[in-house]
Amino acid sequence: MHEISLVQGIFNALEDAFSKEDLANMTDIYLQVGMLSNVEPTLMQNAFEAVTLAEEKYQEVKLHVEVIPVEVYCSDCDINSTIKNYKFVCAQCEQPNNNVVKGTELSVHQVHFEED
Amino acid sequence: MSKVQKSSKAARGTVTCDNTTMHLLKANDFVAESIRNKMAEQNILLINITSSAGSGKTTLLQETARRISDKVKMKILVGDLETERDANRLRETGIDALQIVTGGICHLEAQMIWQGMESLDLEGVELLIVENVGNLVCPASFDLGEDYRVTLIATTEGDDKPKKYPRMFLTSELMLVSKVDLLEYLPFSVDAVVADARDINPNIGVIEVSSTKDIGIDEWCNWLLEKVAEKQKAKEEAAI
Repeated sequence: MHEISLVQGIFNALEDAFSKEDLANMTDIYLQVGMLSNVEPTLMQNAFEAVTLAEEKYQEVKLHVEVIPVEVYCSDCDINSTIKNYKFVCAQCEQPNNNVVKGTELSVHQVHFEED
Repeated sequence: MSKVQKSSKAARGTVTCDNTTMHLLKANDFVAESIRNKMAEQNILLINITSSAGSGKTTLLQETARRISDKVKMKILVGDLETERDANRLRETGIDALQIVTGGICHLEAQMIWQGMESLDLEGVELLIVENVGNLVCPASFDLGEDYRVTLIATTEGDDKPKKYPRMFLTSELMLVSKVDLLEYLPFSVDAVVADARDINPNIGVIEVSSTKDIGIDEWCNWLLEKVAEKQKAKEEAAI
């Protein structure tokens, strides 16, 4: 629903971290979005294309969206469990657990720049 | 793998980024943290009320204001895409309410709360309630610096909501099942909705309410007053 502003967030984060010259050589952005981030990868792609077309920059850059499943950590069993069907339990002891350690990501994970 | 930092050296190949510095909601989370600090300094309890559109947030808050505004100094910030209607309804109860018009944005962001706080006189205020935009999706992702998030689910909505919108229920302290006076007319099971919510968040509190038929309102108000007292206690302890 707010994918356009998130795309703007991608550019802001990148422009904070890299120089203009670097960004001119950027070819790929790898985004990680957790299942709990409420971001729909297809909508994110569409928003990215819309923004890059309108702003006439980064038009050649490809966006890759990786969806990260939800994981919880159980301190009793000392293991991470992947959550299925949004039933928040430890896979080993089967106790309820909402100590989420993965699945809320919404960040630029990697950026690829043209080699010389 | 190299960490990102602006350097004179040109970036080439694949660079792995630090997930915190490259977090897309970093700006929001920074402001939310500032709000949290400011609220801690002034011992103001900040509650973020969320739900789908039409589940009865404003009606509940009108009733809440009538019930407790003589016991605790409270103000309300209310978000909507357009119009001043909800703030007007809340002001009818005699309390100070400020409308945040998001102009089409489907959620409130921390920056809007910060600006709202600047327009409200918070001197002596003990409870600030934010009534979020009616939407169970985006508001779940935006930290507003609140102490507690409270989510309403109306009996008119269907009892399968929690698993459809897991993040909202995962991050809520309390679920208010609203419009329970209509239960006899609707295929809605309170047990089913509670079980669904507790699959996601085993610790979520539940209160059944009806604002128009005065069911559970005292219990909800007592919950609020208890949380306000806890926040005020922190001030007394700091003074010792």
